[in-house]
Amino acid sequence: MSDEKPPIGNSWKALYVAVITALAALIVVFYFFGKHFG
Amino acid sequence: MNAIDWVVLIVTLLSIILYGVWKSRGMKNIEAFLLADRKLPWYHVGLSVMATQASAITFISAPGQGYNDGMRFIQFYFGLPLAMVVLCVTFIPIFKKLNVFTAYEYLEKRFDNKTRSLTAFLFLLQRGVSTGVTIYAPAIILSTILNVDINYTTLLMGGLVILYTVYGGAKAVSYTQMLQMGIIFSGLLVAAITVVHLLPPGVGFSDALHIAGKMGKMNIIDTKFDLNNKYNLWSGVIGGFFLQLSYFGTDQSQVGRYLTGRSVAQSRLGLLMNGFVKIPMQFLILLIGTLVFTFYQYHQAPLFFNKTEVAKIENSPYHTEWKNLETRFGDVYHQKQADVNKLVAALHSNNLPAQDSLRGTLQTADKQTQSLRKEATALMLKNNPRADTNDTNYIFLSFVTRYLPVGLVGLLIAIIFLASMGSTASGLNSLASATVIDFYRRLVRPEAMPKVYLSASRWATIAWGLFCIVVAFYAHKLGNLIEAVNILGSLFYGTILGIFLVAFYLKKVGGTAVFIAAILAETFIVFAWLNDLMAFLWLNAIGCLLVMGIALLIQWLSADQARPQGGTEAPLITGEASTYFNN
Repeated sequence: MSDEKPPIGNSWKALYVAVITALAALIVVFYFFGKHFG
Repeated sequence: MNAIDWVVLIVTLLSIILYGVWKSRGMKNIEAFLLADRKLPWYHVGLSVMATQASAITFISAPGQGYNDGMRFIQFYFGLPLAMVVLCVTFIPIFKKLNVFTAYEYLEKRFDNKTRSLTAFLFLLQRGVSTGVTIYAPAIILSTILNVDINYTTLLMGGLVILYTVYGGAKAVSYTQMLQMGIIFSGLLVAAITVVHLLPPGVGFSDALHIAGKMGKMNIIDTKFDLNNKYNLWSGVIGGFFLQLSYFGTDQSQVGRYLTGRSVAQSRLGLLMNGFVKIPMQFLILLIGTLVFTFYQYHQAPLFFNKTEVAKIENSPYHTEWKNLETRFGDVYHQKQADVNKLVAALHSNNLPAQDSLRGTLQTADKQTQSLRKEATALMLKNNPRADTNDTNYIFLSFVTRYLPVGLVGLLIAIIFLASMGSTASGLNSLASATVIDFYRRLVRPEAMPKVYLSASRWATIAWGLFCIVVAFYAHKLGNLIEAVNILGSLFYGTILGIFLVAFYLKKVGGTAVFIAAILAETFIVFAWLNDLMAFLWLNAIGCLLVMGIALLIQWLSADQARPQGGTEAPLITGEASTYFNN
């Protein structure tokens, strides 16, 4: 099982980093979104 | 509802159910019935996982939550993407390698039968009650629309789901969920656009967000650490992480969904898709609630959104007091509307001092509104101590049926039904899985023919369906449903997750130590909840850490430091997991 490549993207590690980066980006965007409209 | 709405509703529901039934014909064994033959692609897995979590409660309660409490509920989901990554690295490879039907099978291989049975029992208890709540939520809608007793609508909703889940099993669940999510995404976008279009001329999307924001609804991120604050960044990331990890990693209603993936890679990618899409989807749903809030600054909202309770108080000896409250509520609304118009003018002229001044004025007016609503519920309780005084679940429904155009009402009601059917079907399928695999096949008939287990799975689905319907009859006692379901989960998930993490990471701990630790931890969690010691999200983290800590302590105190039973059969998280992570 360990040699299974992801169906999308180069490696699992890159996909995991992408998910965590997207979360961090969303939190930052939400923070400024709330500040702007609040 | 208009005749066209009924046509849209019935055609949407029937076509999706029939599609699911057609795709799942020819069921021959429990592998097909419980896990769709483990042959589904990643997008099926991802959509099925999302549809299982997004019940009708998501579409009924969450906009109401946005309306009443603002956007801060979004923080609840911040732990989810992190949990998805941990699941991909640890849980999926192990479950797939062991070829298990349920997550709890692994626990017997790693510990012993009593730990497996205890965990499966805790799961059955909380999932059985939660699934009852997911049946109740859409039954409220039918009850309101058709004006019939909610017990009949509960029976109808529960009965429909039981029928297609008993026939088609996991395949029917997954195929219906894939279409459901497509319709749900489209419908939500259309609903958001429609709410903005219903605002007065000259008031755009940006103005609507500013109005809601100045009235305190754009409280999206709260960075202050506070154990008693239900929703802040830290409770969301840390507490939410433990809750989501427990839910997706140890709740069979979710484990059963990603075990349908045709390989480790397909199951993983399905979960990562959920990690990417879930938060934006919830953000949109909450945003719709805040836009509805802005809409009601231009159209007078009812003093209380549950028409049934309003009718009761209007026909009671407190009729005059109620009318007085409605008059005062109307006065505050008219004053507030004038101030909102001034705010929009200040926004258009970029007059910052006026905007700051109006922010305070509007927040004070909103507090007056909230205070009048509290007086209203107090009056309802005075008239009837058993009155349902939480109208959060009625806010969005009331808006949809009163203000949305013909056709869209039917579509949005269909979305709520589909969401409920999707998560209820997953719930019933997983309850049947745990009952048959972890109890019937393990303890009652270990060596029976495959058709016996298939038949037992169908009967278990029916029995749990009936149990959930009975729970649904009493669900109105639970208040805000989305919170109620999450609180219920938080009471058990921490303990269950603790058992799994001990299994994965603490290789010296054996079955008896973890079994005692789980019972002690669960007792403390129930005590902490009954005595309101902390906000509910923290119960997940505390329960999990308690199980791990107590199990370690018991194992250390006991002389027996030998490897646990089944240790050679059940993989642990050691080098293997890091190999997956480095791929």
